[in-house]
Amino acid sequence: MLLVVTYSRAARATLRNVCRSHEATVVRRFGRAALLEETELGAFLSLRLREKHGEDVQIERTSPLNEFEAVPDRVREAARAYERRDEPSTPYAKFAVGTDHPDPEALRERDL
Amino acid sequence: MSATSEISIRVDGATYRGRTIDLGTGLPATAVVSAIRGEDPDPWVEATCPRPAPVHDHVGHVAPSVPFSLRAALAAAARSRGETAPQRPALESARERLAELTPPEADLADARRRVATAGASESQLRERVATLRGRLQAVRDVGGDVDPVRTELQAAIEELTEVETERIAAEQALEMAERDARSVRDRREERLRLEDRVANLERDARRSLAASVYEEFAAATAVLPGAAAAGDAPGEFEGETLTAMLAVARVADVDAPIVVESGPFDSAAGAADALDAPVVRL
Repeated sequence: MLLVVTYSRAARATLRNVCRSHEATVVRRFGRAALLEETELGAFLSLRLREKHGEDVQIERTSPLNEFEAVPDRVREAARAYERRDEPSTPYAKFAVGTDHPDPEALRERDL
Repeated sequence: MSATSEISIRVDGATYRGRTIDLGTGLPATAVVSAIRGEDPDPWVEATCPRPAPVHDHVGHVAPSVPFSLRAALAAAARSRGETAPQRPALESARERLAELTPPEADLADARRRVATAGASESQLRERVATLRGRLQAVRDVGGDVDPVRTELQAAIEELTEVETERIAAEQALEMAERDARSVRDRREERLRLEDRVANLERDARRSLAASVYEEFAAATAVLPGAAAAGDAPGEFEGETLTAMLAVARVADVDAPIVVESGPFDSAAGAADALDAPVVRL
C-alpha cells in the first residue's frame, strides 16, 4: 500500500479532499495521513499531492508484515515471552538477562 | 465630526462632500466600495476619506449579496474599538516562532531517480551477460571461434561490475538523504503543530472578541428596524443577515463611509444616525 503523510495545513486539507472524492482507493485514513491502494490511481493521487505540496508530502510504500517469513524466531519468541511475564513492571532489558532472549542492543543492531 | 470635511466622493466630474452622501442610483455600489477601500479603483469614481479599518471589509458594503460571517464581523467590530483578545500574547509568540521555523528543502527526487536508473541498467546488463554466456556455450558446442564472444562477454561483465558499484553508491546516497529528510520532517511536523496552534488561537480570539460586544450587538438589533432575535451568542442569532450587518456596523467604530445599497433607510442621514458612522447611500 502507499502511505501518504502530510506536513502542512494546506497539504492536509488537500489529502482530506482527495480521500473524500476517492473513497474506493483509500484503504484507511488517519488524521493527516492515509493508506492508499497500491494501484496506478493510488500512485497518481499521491504524486498529485506531492506535485502540489512538495516536501510537505511524504510517500512510503508499505506492505503487511509476515512475522513468520520476515522475523527470526528468536524475536517472535521474545515478544511472546515478554508479554507473558509475571512481573508487569519488569523492563525488557532486565527480563532478557540470563535467558536465551536477545538483549535490546542486539535487537537494535540487526536489520530484518 | 472632524472627519466630515475629509470625506468626499467624485463621480464622473461631480463632487459630493460630507458625512452623509446620497448618490443617485445607476452607479454600481461595488465601484464606490472599491474607491473607498482604494482597491482596484474605477476611473470614474474617486473617494477621499479616512483609510478603512479591517471592520470595513465586513460592514462597509450593506447589501444582501455581500457574504457575511457574524462572528468574524463582531470580532472585527470589537477590534475597531481597540479591544484586544486575551489570546493575543500567546498568538503573537506562536506566530513569531512559526516565522522563524523554515524547514530546509530536501528534495530526494534526484536521489531516487539515480537509484532507479542504476537498477534498470544493472538488470539489463545482467540479462546481456546471461545471453552472452549462452552464446559462448553454443559456439563452443559447435566448435566455432569463441574469442569474439568471450571478449564481448568480458566487456559486459566489467560493465556490470561498474554499474553494480554505481547502484550500491546510489542506494547509500538515498539512504543518507532519507535519514536527513527524517530530521527535516521533525521540523515540518513542529511547523504544522504551530500552524494549528495559531489557527486555534485565532479562532478563540475571534470568539472572545465577538463575545465581548455581543450584548451591545443584541441591543443594536433591538433598536434597528428589521426582525431579529439575537440570543446570547453569534450561533444563536436568528434574523436577516442585513439586520445583523447593520447592528455590527452600529457597534463598530467606523471612520470610512459605509456604502448602504439596501436597507430600511430612506436617507443617508437616517442611516448615519442609526449606524453612528459616515454613510454613502445609493
